[in-house]
Amino acid sequence: MKLIFEYDEQISGHVRDEPIDLELPQDLIRDELPLPNVNEIDIVRHYTNLSRKNYGIDLGLYPLGSCTMKYNPRVNEDIARLKGFSSLHPLIPSSCSQGSLQLIWELQESLKEITGMDNITLQPAAGSQCELLGIMIAKKYFAEKNEKRSKIIIPDSAHGTNPATAAMCKFQTVTIPSDKRGNMSLNDFKQTLDSEVAVVMLTNPNTLGLFEENILEISDLSKENGTLMYCDGANMNALLGISKPGDQGFDMVHLNLHKTFSTPHGGGGPGGGALAVNSFLGDYLPIPRIIKENESKFSLDYSVGKSVGRIHSFYGNFGIIVRALSYIKSWGSNIRRVSEHAVLNANYLVSLLKDVYHLPFDRSCAHEFVLSSKNLGEKSTMYIAKRILDYGFHPPTIYFPLIVPEALMIEPTETETKETLDEFASVLKKIALELKENPDLVKEAPHTTPIGRLDEVKAAREPNLRWLPTPDDKK
Amino acid sequence: MDYVPTTKKDVDSMIKQIGVNSIQDLLVNFKPQLSKKLNLSDPLSEMELIDYMTGLSKKNKVLKYFAGGGSYNHYSPAVINHLISRGEFLTAYTPYQPEISQGLLQAIYEFQSYICLLTGMDIANASLYDGASALAEAALLSASHTNRNRIFVNEGLNPNYLQVLKTYCNGADLELTDKIDDKTACVIAQNPDFYGNIENLQNLSDKAHKENALFVTCVTELTSLAILRPPGYCGADIVVGEAQSLGIPLSFGGPYLGFAAVKKFLLKKLPGRIVGMTTDKNEKKGFVLTFQAREQHIRRERATSNITTNQALLALMATIYLATMGRSGLINVAKISYQRAHLLQKKLKEIGFEPLNKKPFYNEFLVQTSSSSESIISELLEHNILGGLDLEENRILVCCTEQNSIQDIEEYVSLVK
Amino acid sequence: MSDRKFTESHEWVIIENELALVGISDFAQKQLGDIVSVELPKVGEEFKKKDTIAIIDSIKASSDIYCPIDGMIEKINEELIEHPELINKSPYESGWIVKIKPRDKGQLDSLMTQEQYDKFVGED
Repeated sequence: MKLIFEYDEQISGHVRDEPIDLELPQDLIRDELPLPNVNEIDIVRHYTNLSRKNYGIDLGLYPLGSCTMKYNPRVNEDIARLKGFSSLHPLIPSSCSQGSLQLIWELQESLKEITGMDNITLQPAAGSQCELLGIMIAKKYFAEKNEKRSKIIIPDSAHGTNPATAAMCKFQTVTIPSDKRGNMSLNDFKQTLDSEVAVVMLTNPNTLGLFEENILEISDLSKENGTLMYCDGANMNALLGISKPGDQGFDMVHLNLHKTFSTPHGGGGPGGGALAVNSFLGDYLPIPRIIKENESKFSLDYSVGKSVGRIHSFYGNFGIIVRALSYIKSWGSNIRRVSEHAVLNANYLVSLLKDVYHLPFDRSCAHEFVLSSKNLGEKSTMYIAKRILDYGFHPPTIYFPLIVPEALMIEPTETETKETLDEFASVLKKIALELKENPDLVKEAPHTTPIGRLDEVKAAREPNLRWLPTPDDKK
Repeated sequence: MDYVPTTKKDVDSMIKQIGVNSIQDLLVNFKPQLSKKLNLSDPLSEMELIDYMTGLSKKNKVLKYFAGGGSYNHYSPAVINHLISRGEFLTAYTPYQPEISQGLLQAIYEFQSYICLLTGMDIANASLYDGASALAEAALLSASHTNRNRIFVNEGLNPNYLQVLKTYCNGADLELTDKIDDKTACVIAQNPDFYGNIENLQNLSDKAHKENALFVTCVTELTSLAILRPPGYCGADIVVGEAQSLGIPLSFGGPYLGFAAVKKFLLKKLPGRIVGMTTDKNEKKGFVLTFQAREQHIRRERATSNITTNQALLALMATIYLATMGRSGLINVAKISYQRAHLLQKKLKEIGFEPLNKKPFYNEFLVQTSSSSESIISELLEHNILGGLDLEENRILVCCTEQNSIQDIEEYVSLVK
Repeated sequence: MSDRKFTESHEWVIIENELALVGISDFAQKQLGDIVSVELPKVGEEFKKKDTIAIIDSIKASSDIYCPIDGMIEKINEELIEHPELINKSPYESGWIVKIKPRDKGQLDSLMTQEQYDKFVGED
């Protein structure tokens, strides 16, 4: 398909004929703006046609592990677009933004209840910004206590964001291997935990889709050692109403609103983050904070105190906060059903697939699980993922976590039916069979997509990262 | 509402297949476990939910805005909302599987191209969270590239951005400095600045480069680049900022659209996702995420940043906005915004508001009021007008866009006379 | 054949004109796949054995290259910046990575010979 820049010149419909002279000196103004003029009909066709080359949850199962691709309720989209929310300027006096402030406050209260924590901020724009904020808080907390702690413990199954975050705040990452049951190895942990360790960053359930069985012992040992416990809550979809990170001994936990609370992933954002902390860390949360003065009055508190400062241009991804609150209000106190069925669906798929694919950790999983296709040959995971495309599903997360060879990480979510799960399982079994009987068919896949497998080496070695105007295009 | 479709009959057959007696049996090693329901409100039906949330939205008061400060009330053509609501875009995730993500990948490639064209830079990424964190990322990038740890910030940076920058600097052991020397990693300047001033930053850029520091230009009002000389032609090595102006709703401050663009030599240090064009085995043109080895999922503690999920759908919005407005429409938006702001400034001057901008300005300007700025703002609020941002010492920062009609401007002036 | 020595982390090193020439083995480049970018140290930087001296990226992986010997970087292979694929094409010749002025050539004695290394990767 051609680029938007490659259309012939058209009349742009959004122009008012208003001759206006600029009284600006020549060295401040530009002499050309090589953007195309395209009329609305071709804009609609262009982007509608592009959308048809894209796969979303609306088209079918999207079992991308660790990403919680569940149904995105449409009513939440409508609500976020209510004029009172979408047309509100962030710097309006708080007397005019009481609805928004109350909404943020209500989501904060709900998430405190869900996580079992005392204080919370919704300012981070995504999970990884929550991590950054959490580690900044830890850094400031220890600096104020005059404790020199330079290390962060992270299990080898962790998301890459965990070590990347530690590095951004100049901490050294100490990696702990996983044991045979898929837990962080308790022995190695004990040997590593010393007075230099500032934070233990754990994902629970972890990226293998397994609940950390030693979590209470790890928390106790950390507490004794003066070390903070950070929970990467990317997998909170397994725990709603079942277990609270606060009760598991965590001092901080982040949530991804776009995962657990069903706000649309939008092709890679916008997401939304919440960082909840125990009361002794509450003062470190970013400013401004929402204060409830009485039943009908909310305000913004800008006093810095111990806060690490501000981390968002305004108050966070408000439009995402609206959708998340709508979602929680829909479920209300029944929200436990979400996690029960997420866990049921994952375990059901395991039971259908474990005879064909290797299950590295054979115990009840949480909301997702990791299979290995190592018995089907080298690179088999990649072949299988591409072949899944031919059957009309989105493939699972592949080659992650790094500790499982030929990993397929599958998260069906609670919004899929048994019927869909059965179809997906039969497709995976069929592909395993194809790999034995007709390997080329699988290795050459996909066969039905708008484009074949793309040359990623060429993309990196001969970078073409933008359209460049030719002299003719410069108007 | 209930978004779980599974019937009791299906649950029974599923647990039988798994080999357990109940869902609860699958949860036994989740410890400690709650013994009672969460203390959340009763579930709402869709009708009840709409009622409740509409009620909240009505507690807000939407006004006529004469305020900017990093959030600009430009018109967003209707077509944008229709196109981004297509489920194929809305309900996709990061395009890890390019064969079924060509739509979004091409749109991001177009977005990168648009950002390069507007800023005059070589390479842009697929987006960052917002303007403030994009600026902070530019500081981190500069520190890593130069191996220096001091950041110089020119006057006139949006104060919220400065706060975010400080937060990130504290985390990363960087410090702000008030001089440009051989320890400076980068020099940061916003243009147009927080007060609306426009400047050719070439001189400042030369100063930075003389000390081998990088020069960063921050742009928070991207429509300005329809008429202003692109920062890439004024010595910028990095251009970052906020693209909310490009058709993205005010939405009480988010989600917005951070962007980052660099000169070629900084490509491998650029944080965030980058889309590149390549070909498939039949030489058919296509798009992929590229240079992923910079990113956290591969490099982990050595990554350029920890960012993963960013603002893809908003990058799509901005792309459709730019396509819809086109060159002519965008220049129109910029010129009308410029003209309205200058008209209002002139009229306010006539009634005794002292203009404080000593340099040319775009669509924001600062005035000194002779009476209390607080009472002026409240008076306007009574008439559903947000008259600007009340800065200290009776100064008001006023902003106009193409949505402020000449009639609105006359009303504003008559109310504060 | 030659005096080329190998580390367990798949770097090779050979002394030429009093300088230690360093690269990665043919086995290693095959494992990494198509190399798309190389990050090199600066000339004059000092390294200890097992420090990271360079980073090699393929499409899906990023690998540290460890220093096989204490010393100072005397020369880097700048060709690799524009043509990282040289490591794939010619790991032992034009795909060399750095030249190090060694502090103690004796450190090489503990490394594997070609024969030992071939056996090592065969068993790997």
